[in-house]
Amino acid sequence: MLKYIGERLLAMFITLAIILTLVFCMIRMMPGGIYDELEDITQEQLDALYAKHNLDKPILVQFGIFIKNVVTDWDWGYSLKLQPNQTVWGILGDKIPITIYENIFSLMISIPLGIGFGILAAIKKNTWIDHVISVMVVICISVPSFVFASLLQYFIGFKLGLFPIVYEPGSTGFAMFYSMTLPIVALALNPIATITRYLRAELAETINSDFMLLARTKGLTEAQATVRHGIRNSILPILSTLVALFTNIMSGSLVIESIFSIPGMGGLMIKSINAIDYNVTQATLVFYSLISLGSILLCDLLYGVVDPRVRVGGKKE
Amino acid sequence: MASEINNNEVVLEVKNLVMHFKTKKRGKTHKVKAVDDVSFSVKRGETFGLVGESGCGKTTTGRTIIRLYNPTGGEIYFEGQPLHGRMNAKLRKLITDNIAMIFQDPIASLNPRMTVQEIIGEGLKIRGIKDPAERHQIVVDMLKKVGLMEEHATRYPHEFSGGQRQRIGIARALVTNPKVIIADEPVSALDVSVQAQVINLLNDLKEEYGLTILFIAHNLSVVKYFSDRIGIMYFGKLVELASCDELFKYPLHPYTKALLSAIPQPDPHHERRRVRISYDSSIHNYDEGENKPHYFEVRPDHFVYCSDAEYPAYEAEVKEIEASLKGE
Repeated sequence: MLKYIGERLLAMFITLAIILTLVFCMIRMMPGGIYDELEDITQEQLDALYAKHNLDKPILVQFGIFIKNVVTDWDWGYSLKLQPNQTVWGILGDKIPITIYENIFSLMISIPLGIGFGILAAIKKNTWIDHVISVMVVICISVPSFVFASLLQYFIGFKLGLFPIVYEPGSTGFAMFYSMTLPIVALALNPIATITRYLRAELAETINSDFMLLARTKGLTEAQATVRHGIRNSILPILSTLVALFTNIMSGSLVIESIFSIPGMGGLMIKSINAIDYNVTQATLVFYSLISLGSILLCDLLYGVVDPRVRVGGKKE
Repeated sequence: MASEINNNEVVLEVKNLVMHFKTKKRGKTHKVKAVDDVSFSVKRGETFGLVGESGCGKTTTGRTIIRLYNPTGGEIYFEGQPLHGRMNAKLRKLITDNIAMIFQDPIASLNPRMTVQEIIGEGLKIRGIKDPAERHQIVVDMLKKVGLMEEHATRYPHEFSGGQRQRIGIARALVTNPKVIIADEPVSALDVSVQAQVINLLNDLKEEYGLTILFIAHNLSVVKYFSDRIGIMYFGKLVELASCDELFKYPLHPYTKALLSAIPQPDPHHERRRVRISYDSSIHNYDEGENKPHYFEVRPDHFVYCSDAEYPAYEAEVKEIEASLKGE
C-alpha cells in the first residue's frame, strides 16, 4: 500500500510539473503587455520594471528563476498589478481560507441532504415522491449554479430580504456564515443532486439484490436489512465520489464568488487573468491543480479502503 | 437417494397457496398468477423436490413459504402453527428460527462487502449471541462442517470459487439450527462436478442434523437422486405429486410425461429412440364451475391435479399399471 501511495505521489508530482510548465508558458503567451495601460511612463522606468520582475530575460531563464525561488524560499514572487509589491503567497493566504470555508460548508450540507433524498427516492421508487425528487435532480444538475445564484439573490436576498445579497467583508463567526448562506446554498444544489442521483441508482439496485432477500430470511426486518445491507453497501461507493464533488464545488465557486463578491480564490483567479498578473495567475492555477490532483489521489485510496474487492497491494509472487 | 422415513409427521404444510403479482404495463394492470392453488405437505426428515420449468412458480412458492412475499391466499403451517397472516416480530421469529433458505446464485446472494464471518454470524447476532468470540467459534465450527477452513472466516465472498460460495450459503443457512431448509436451486449455478459435491454435502448434513429439505430444482436427474417425494409444477399449479420412484416409473399427468421424456440419457441407442412428448395445456378445459380441478389420490400417495371429468381416464391408466404389476 505504501509503495502504491509512493508511486501515485510521484506520478502526481510529474503531472504537477507538467501543469506548472504549461501554465507558466501559456500565461506569458497571452496577448497584451502587462504595463500597456500605463501611459505616462518612460522607457527607462518600463525597463526597470521589467528587470525587477525578470521579465526582460528569456522565458526559460524566467522559469528557472521562478522554480528556484519556489523550491528554495517558497517565494512565489510579487503581484505585478493586482496588488503591486505584495507577495503572491500573502495574497493567497488571505483568500484560501475564505474559499475553503465556503466549499467545506456547501459540501457539509450537500452530503446529508443528498444521502437523505437518495435513500428516500430509492425506497419509494416509482412513486410520486421518487418522481418529484428525480425532476428536482435533473433541474439541479442541468441548470448552472450561477443561474441559481442570481435567482437566490433576487428572490431570497432581494424580495424576501432573508439573507444578505452579497458577502460582507470582514465579518466573522456567525455573521460570516450568515452573509455566505446564499453562495453556499447555490454551490450545494448541484452536489446534492449528484449525490441523490448516484445513491438512488446504487441503492435501488442493492435493494433488489439476492443478499437483501437472504438477509430477510436470516430474520432481519425489512428496515434492518435495508440499513445494514442496502444503505451500508450503497453509501460506500458514494464516499469516493464525494471527493470528486469537492473539486466540482471548487470550480463552481469560480463564478459564484464573483456573483456574491466574495474575496476568495475564484474571484482572484479571474481578476488576475484579466489584469495579466502572471505571478498571481500561476499561483492560483497551481492551487487549483493541487486540489484536484490531491482529491483524485484521495478518491482512489478511498476506493481501496471502502471496497474490499479493489483493495490494492495483493501479494505478488 | 430415498432415505427412510420413519414417521409420517408433517412438518410443513401448504394448503391452497395463492400468490398473485400485479404488474403495470402502459397503465393496464395485469395479474401474474405465479402460484395458484398449490397444496402439499412435507414430512419430517424427507426431501421434497419441487420441479418445473422456468417461471412455473417454484421459487415463488419457496419464497412465499418463508414469507419473503405476502401470500395472496391460502395457508401455510409449520408443525401445526400457521405461518400465514400478518407479519409481526413473533411470526418472523417463528419462521426464520425454523426455516432457512439457500439461494440459487451463490455470487449475488452473499453481500460483497461483508466477510464470511459477518455473513454467517449475522443470523446468530440477531438471535442474541452478542459475544464476538463465541460467534466466531460457532462460525468456524460450521465452516469446518461444510468443508471450509477457519482461515476462510475473515475473507470476502469474491475470494471464493462458486462451489465454496455455495458451501458458505449452506453454512449460513444451517448456523441457526433450522428444522426446514428451503433449497432454491442450490446447485444449478454450479459446475456439474461441483454439483455432486454440494448435493452430497447437503445429504450428509441432512442426516446429521435431521433436516427436512424442500428442494426446488429444474434438473430432473438431480431431483431424482436427491428427493424422497416430488411435486411437479406447471404454470403456478402443482399438477402431480408422488414419491420419487413412483413418479419416475408411472407418470400420469401429461405434463409430467412430457417433462420426463425430455431427460437425456447417456446411451446413444436409447437417445435415438427417445420420443419427446410435448404438452399442450389447452387439452384441459377447466372452469370455475363443475369442471374445477382439484387433487385426486389415484394411487396411494400419488396425487394428480385434474377435474372430475378427467379423472376416469387416469383411473383407467392406473388400472392398466396395476394389472401389469400383477402380471410380473
